[in-house]
Amino acid sequence: MGLGIGLALADSSVVTLALPDILRRFDVEIPQVAWVLTSYNLGLALAAVPAAYAARRRPRPAFAAGTLVFAAASLVCGLAPSFGVLVGARCVQAVGGALLVCAALDLLTAIDGSDARSVRTWAAAGVIGAALGPAAGGILTETLGWESIFLVQAPLALLTILALVGLEARPIRGPAGRPHIPANLALLLISGALTAALFLLVLLLVDGWRINPAAAGVIVTVLPIAAIATGRIAHRLGSPRARAASGAVLIAGGLGALGVLPGSSWLWTLAPQVLVGAGLGLSLSALTERALEGRSPQAVHGGWTIAARHAGVVVGLLLLTPVFTTALDTNEDRALRAGAAAVLDSSIPPLDKLGLAQDVLAIVRASDREVPDVREAFVDRPDDEEYRSLESTLVSELDRAVTAAFARPFLLAALLALAALVPIAWSRGRVSV
Amino acid sequence: MKAATFLVSCVVAVALVATYVALGGTSYEPTPVANPCAPRAHREPNGTDERLQLVVLAAADAAACRLGVSREELVLALRSTDELDQLAAEKGKSRDELEEALRDGLVRAVGQSEDEGLIGDTTAGALRFAAEHLPLGLLLDLLRRGSSLLG
Repeated sequence: MGLGIGLALADSSVVTLALPDILRRFDVEIPQVAWVLTSYNLGLALAAVPAAYAARRRPRPAFAAGTLVFAAASLVCGLAPSFGVLVGARCVQAVGGALLVCAALDLLTAIDGSDARSVRTWAAAGVIGAALGPAAGGILTETLGWESIFLVQAPLALLTILALVGLEARPIRGPAGRPHIPANLALLLISGALTAALFLLVLLLVDGWRINPAAAGVIVTVLPIAAIATGRIAHRLGSPRARAASGAVLIAGGLGALGVLPGSSWLWTLAPQVLVGAGLGLSLSALTERALEGRSPQAVHGGWTIAARHAGVVVGLLLLTPVFTTALDTNEDRALRAGAAAVLDSSIPPLDKLGLAQDVLAIVRASDREVPDVREAFVDRPDDEEYRSLESTLVSELDRAVTAAFARPFLLAALLALAALVPIAWSRGRVSV
Repeated sequence: MKAATFLVSCVVAVALVATYVALGGTSYEPTPVANPCAPRAHREPNGTDERLQLVVLAAADAAACRLGVSREELVLALRSTDELDQLAAEKGKSRDELEEALRDGLVRAVGQSEDEGLIGDTTAGALRFAAEHLPLGLLLDLLRRGSSLLG
């Protein structure tokens, strides 16, 4: 059952590394391709609460139906003949995912026999799924193609139906109380901040620093490893409120460090990833537990947490993407000027100076908000020390520009994580901790 | 335990950000281009092409200084009069102001290069005549061909 929850929640970020391949496959623009991510998260945010109300009455059929819909929609995504079908199937996948995740919470209570234990298992499965998503997606995209991300999910999701064999779960009647607003608001803000770590970090590695997706997938496993390791000892580290606040600070610190990277090597991302992962392991599960503590029915309040988290992802995508693309434009201009200075001051033959500068300018202008690869301008040029040195300078200037372009959205995301401290503090005394 | 976890998290977060800042994290960005109004060092030119190239670069510095743009912005815009017009519009200058800055920049650079012995009297006279009398399109063409800078 944890596998089903993990799959459904990993899907919010699993296709991040596949976006460039999907863009090429369907010949769409960047703002359009972002809908492969946004549609799923928006669908999950909108469907989670209604799905939870449906699931609480008949959790077993709801889980089975949700899993079947999720698996079928995953197959359609993997075999989609057009971009419209892919985005439509992602919406259906989100509805199935919402149903299975919310129903799973009530079913876990039946299995574990305890609300507290089932919430911990449910929250942990969600954290692991969300954190592992980009890494798993990157490795699958590089080894088997982006379609495999969806095609692999279908049989795995169907396997989880086996968990229903012999399981009895009582329907829960009675009115659902109000959702825990501070905890859900904090979840929204933390999830918005994590968008930067789960999406922008991957973009920085692959599109910015030209690391291949499989290697990037391996590099970003540091984050889920830190999340899982911290999650295992989280309960020894204080109350849910203390853990949530500590997690928010660690996420802000990690994102803040990503906003002031001193170089363009993947090694610089390791320590920030450890902090963000540890913060994720501490805060998401703590806030989920806090949102569900003493509330009934669990599925409905679980639905609110899913809605808050994925609304946060959508807010993060909508807020951070334009900040990043604007910063990329500005920094590309600065890199272009720095590159032009390097060309003008170089000792390559005068006849080739503007020719080279024009080629670089054409590559930058043709990149259309993607990170340009200026090395293409050197393909047909002499392979001597002067040109190699100039190529290295231009690549370095572009690396600096791209890294600086990511700084602002990372810092903005760090502020979102810090803003989560307000609702976390606000919840003081509302529920005993 | 509550306070300790929170305090340790704060210390770790601040320490990592401070370390990255101390290692140059806030200045890891594209290298700023040189001020076109400040004197610029150059290596000893080798051959006529490089001498003429230095004259054009000095002219670009002088014109850029007057226009309040960088030499690199101006050189990238020298590809055509359309791109020059676009640069002028971006900087709130008129076409006349831009043309005057280019002509004046070339005259200054020619005088300076003559004083430094980079070019002889005849070349300097020809370049001065071109700077003062040729239409802008032809002057740009001359700059491109004459200096070989623009290919």
